[in-house]
Amino acid sequence: MIKLRLLEKLKYISISSRISILLGIIILITMGVFSAFSLIKQKDASIDAISHNADQLSKTTEKILRFSMLKNRRAELSMAVRNIVGKEGIMSVRILNHKGIIKFSSNPSEVNKHISQTSQEGIETVQFCESCHKNKYNKLEYDLKNFTQNRIIRKDNLIYNWQPIYNARSCYTEACHSSFEETAARKTNILKDNETYLPVHDSSQTILGFIDIEVSTKRINANLAKTRTQLILFTVIFALIASIVTYFSTKYLIGKPIKNLVEGTKRVAEGNFKDEIPPGKAELKLLAESFNKMQKQLLTTQTQLIESEKLASVGKLADEIANEINNPLTGIIIHSENLIAESNLDKNMISDFETIKLEALKIRESIRNILSFTGGNKPEFKVTFIGDIINHTISIVKKFSNFQNIKIISEIPKSLPNVVIDPTLIEQVFLNLLLIPSESMQAGGILDILVNYSPVNKEIEIVFSDTGKGIPENILKKIFNPINIADLENFEKTGISLAVCKDIIKMHNGTIKINNTGSGTVVTITLPV
Amino acid sequence: MKQTIKILIIDKEEIILKSVKKALKNNDHTDFVITTCKSALEGLKIIRTDKFDISLIDPILPGMNGNELIRRIRNIYPALPIIIMSGYSTIRLDQLNSVAEQNESFKPISDILKKPFTTEEIKSVIKKALENYSISN
Repeated sequence: MIKLRLLEKLKYISISSRISILLGIIILITMGVFSAFSLIKQKDASIDAISHNADQLSKTTEKILRFSMLKNRRAELSMAVRNIVGKEGIMSVRILNHKGIIKFSSNPSEVNKHISQTSQEGIETVQFCESCHKNKYNKLEYDLKNFTQNRIIRKDNLIYNWQPIYNARSCYTEACHSSFEETAARKTNILKDNETYLPVHDSSQTILGFIDIEVSTKRINANLAKTRTQLILFTVIFALIASIVTYFSTKYLIGKPIKNLVEGTKRVAEGNFKDEIPPGKAELKLLAESFNKMQKQLLTTQTQLIESEKLASVGKLADEIANEINNPLTGIIIHSENLIAESNLDKNMISDFETIKLEALKIRESIRNILSFTGGNKPEFKVTFIGDIINHTISIVKKFSNFQNIKIISEIPKSLPNVVIDPTLIEQVFLNLLLIPSESMQAGGILDILVNYSPVNKEIEIVFSDTGKGIPENILKKIFNPINIADLENFEKTGISLAVCKDIIKMHNGTIKINNTGSGTVVTITLPV
Repeated sequence: MKQTIKILIIDKEEIILKSVKKALKNNDHTDFVITTCKSALEGLKIIRTDKFDISLIDPILPGMNGNELIRRIRNIYPALPIIIMSGYSTIRLDQLNSVAEQNESFKPISDILKKPFTTEEIKSVIKKALENYSISN
């Protein structure tokens, strides 16, 4: 159960978290590898340094002790050997003879024991001797090539180094007993008159013995361990800080804008596309802008849909109303016609019935004109003379109340070529372009419709100009935008908006523009021929 | 000799039935024998029993879809000239016609008479429909 919940939670780890975790892991790995690598290098370098120092140390020690050895000052040697220990991490010093017997040692109990009998762990006699004598103890075969390297053996906390003590003339010519000792020996008759002390060493020996030193690496190791700990700590802390910084910055740069976007899409899915999402940074800013644009588009589409639905329902209503009128109107027409045909009525009565019939026919005409505006959904393109449409429109509107004080002028050249248009739709547009200015020209004015043909552009231009108030600049900018849902209540009485007019013109591959002149407004429509 | 034409008028509005009767009386060349009814079912019943030369129908009738009515009339009387009367806009009538045209067993609707019509118009439409009918037969 818990595992399932955890798994589900894992799915919802945010982008910021993922990026920062990933970064943290990358830092840990790279810095870890780097640290390990440099630690190893450091250790090797330190050990090399120590080995070198040990080497130097034993050489130096050998030189220092040589004089005491030459003078056979054994007591001095023992003291020296014991005193050297303790400084610089020197654990023990020994002087051995060539056969491996310890002659002097900082550990007195070792004296006269073979080196293999000491408590040195892991140092076998074999290693010691074999470094020169490839074949065990066979003096004739020795390999001096590897000599230098094998002189130093490393263990965990120790470096063990030994130096050969080379034979020199002074070694085998100096009396091992000093003159003082010789004199004292003669006096006490240990040494007879004809006897001398023989030197301990003879000329045949190349190597008299060895001096070996054990150096502790404990301090270095401790330092290295400390460094290692510090590096690990540093890596972890750095990784953590980097992760945290990354987490918050990605949250700010990416996470929050994406969250806004997600919420925005949720809202759109629920039908609300009015609230814009705040812009993010960089590319996400563009994304937010595109999203907001999309919302505006959706809003536009929605309002257009509502508009056309409203139009459709108005159309249906008009249809029904017309039908309600048409049946009784048939009665009026037919019956008045019937009365007119009655032969024995006087002229005045016939005249009256004719008036009735005429007015009834006018009603019929008006209704048919209204119905033609709410015409079908699919445009039906026909070859039309634009002048006919204009004249028809004028004939309808001039009866409207708004137009009682308005003078309509039209200039239509007779040589105008025909256009392929849906006459119903274009008439809708023209009707609107006359009705809209008439709303503000009830006191009077002039509506001018000028048509001309441009052979160069192969298009017909229709210019509607009025002497009205003109349109304020800020409205002019948005005048072809679809109406907001909020404005639908204050819908113009004309029934379709300029946005729909623009759509109709666009459908015909034409253009429509509105400008203010000094004395009113001008609408220019072009239609391709 | 005067021609006798038997007409069936189906319309739910009384005034239409009355007006058509008025418009078609007192004709010089033809005598119209007019039968009227107000519902689809009634009309179908009458068609089964009587013979007519032409029929004027407003397809918007209670109880039956206009297309359905015409299809049934055609089943009974495939060749009967039918004129559709309607007070609605032409769009609905176009839909009606296209349905009829799609089905090849139907003869297309002879004509559409838009309401309101004058005496002249209804007479002219009937005349034309009858002429077309006699030409094709």
